[in-house]
Amino acid sequence: MTRVRVTAPATAARPVTESREAAQESDVGQVFVRSLIRSQLRLALVVAGGFLVILSAFPLLLAVVPGLADTTIAGIPFDWILLGVGIYPVIGLSAWLYTRTAARNEARYRDLAGDP
Amino acid sequence: MNPGVAAAAVAVVSVATAVIGFYGLRISRTTGDFFVASRTVRPWWNASAIGGEYLSAASFLGVAGLLLLSGTDALWFPVGYTAGYLMLLLFVAAPLRRSGAYTIPDFTEARLDSRAVRKVTSLVVVLVGWLYIVPQLHGAALTIRITTGLPSWVGSVAVVVVVCLTVVAGGMRSITFVQAFQYWLKLTALAVPILFIIFMLAGTGTPPLATPSENPTGLAPAGWYNNVSLLVALLFGTLGLPHVLVRFYTNPDGQSARRTTLIVLGLLSVFYLFPTAYGLVGRMFAPDLARSGQPDAMVLLLPRELIGGPAGDLLSALVVAGAFAAFLSTTSGLVVSLAGVISQDVLGAGVGGFRLAAVVSAVVPLGFALMTGSLALAGSVGLVFAFTASTVCPVLLLGIWWRGLTDAGAIAGMVTGGVLCGGAMIAGALAGAASTPAWLAQPAAWSVPTAFAVMVLVSRATAGRVPKTLVRVMTRLHTPERPLATGR
Repeated sequence: MTRVRVTAPATAARPVTESREAAQESDVGQVFVRSLIRSQLRLALVVAGGFLVILSAFPLLLAVVPGLADTTIAGIPFDWILLGVGIYPVIGLSAWLYTRTAARNEARYRDLAGDP
Repeated sequence: MNPGVAAAAVAVVSVATAVIGFYGLRISRTTGDFFVASRTVRPWWNASAIGGEYLSAASFLGVAGLLLLSGTDALWFPVGYTAGYLMLLLFVAAPLRRSGAYTIPDFTEARLDSRAVRKVTSLVVVLVGWLYIVPQLHGAALTIRITTGLPSWVGSVAVVVVVCLTVVAGGMRSITFVQAFQYWLKLTALAVPILFIIFMLAGTGTPPLATPSENPTGLAPAGWYNNVSLLVALLFGTLGLPHVLVRFYTNPDGQSARRTTLIVLGLLSVFYLFPTAYGLVGRMFAPDLARSGQPDAMVLLLPRELIGGPAGDLLSALVVAGAFAAFLSTTSGLVVSLAGVISQDVLGAGVGGFRLAAVVSAVVPLGFALMTGSLALAGSVGLVFAFTASTVCPVLLLGIWWRGLTDAGAIAGMVTGGVLCGGAMIAGALAGAASTPAWLAQPAAWSVPTAFAVMVLVSRATAGRVPKTLVRVMTRLHTPERPLATGR
């Protein structure tokens, strides 16, 4: 069995990425990179913020509307349904929307910056 | 419950885990395989494995136990665990994969070009890992004691032995198979008994003994500070868990890392429906389990309590098997990631160093677990999340998204967060659960922002220390690796 020594990659640039990064370190390249980073960060913050707003709306709704928490559906009280089941589709939707839009941002970057 | 049946269930799960682990040995050969499964694991496998590792004793036993005690207040736990994963997807998944590092200290060293940061990060990661392993061993001790009547230490030792064998034999690759298998085992082990119980209850039309809003022990509700602080801990803490982050490196590229995380979210959501069901059923039909003094054992005891006879014994055995799978999988995942960190920084890289590090990673928390009594599982895991949220999370988030982070800032922030949160935890442990004020019991709401603030301020103050490699590193973290037309 060959013994392989693992070392932490210090600047682990492989040949392919080396040329890609050289091209992108030009001023023009950096403008595109920074704009991509900004759009991805904005997207993440918007999705996270929107999700947190909905997350806080659920208990607020239960606290504010009298009797809502105790209404039962099929024997299960509504507050258990909302907080125990209803949140998960919201999480899934946020995640799916984010993944799609992030991929679109990256596709747009590739169109603008070109492919070496 | 029948001790023989329970012991058999534990034995079967342990043997199956070890066997699948050894099978992985035939495939993994190189150190690369040992560390990160050669980056060839497909999304569904990887997602199942992440789900398997992530769903620990707290998720399997602790959540239902807390739901029994505290009702809807405790629903923030499963929601927080899952939403924390969403935060991971949004802020960390793709850039971390692209960084190319094997472990978190690798990432911080590469990003900040500093060995000092690497050492501090390694120390924090090892602490977090050990803190997380201890509740798993406590959970195993509780399970063995309640179901077989054997002394508690048997459970903790059994978990450590099986984990060491599996990890030493095959490293990450075998662990992936094992973890994936254990997610599906846990899901089945939890789902089948409760579905059976619900079916039976609905069929016989048994009236509930209490309404879900009734508090079985008369404990006061937790209050809004506790819920908010807990949510902060869970949302920010998932970002920093070492055994979770290591799995990102096993994806082929950034977009597949995102897709894997998406699948994980689905798997987690489906899973958490079941402890919620246990909690609800327990509250309505078996509230006296809350007064037994061991609410965490509720999931283990409920089938026997409500069904009884040999069917109840078998269903309970299934749950015990699932619980043990939870302890084994989370502990293995943590041991693998800790072994990676320890072997690279302390013991010298290579397969032999990894194996020794794995044994060390498992034995130290075992000593600690044997010496301490068990606290409420979900609560103690919540504190670990708070610690991670105050230390690893800020350096990851700021490192990925902010160009201004310096090595001095990173170290200052991690140390501040660690000291504040760790200090609060120790103070709380010394004062005892009853006399700890709310802000000390769950410190995330103030320790996390403080850590972030210190990191930013010190980085600003040492702005000259921004690494020379900044532009290259940021470019690599954020730009896509290959044409997206292939759709992988």
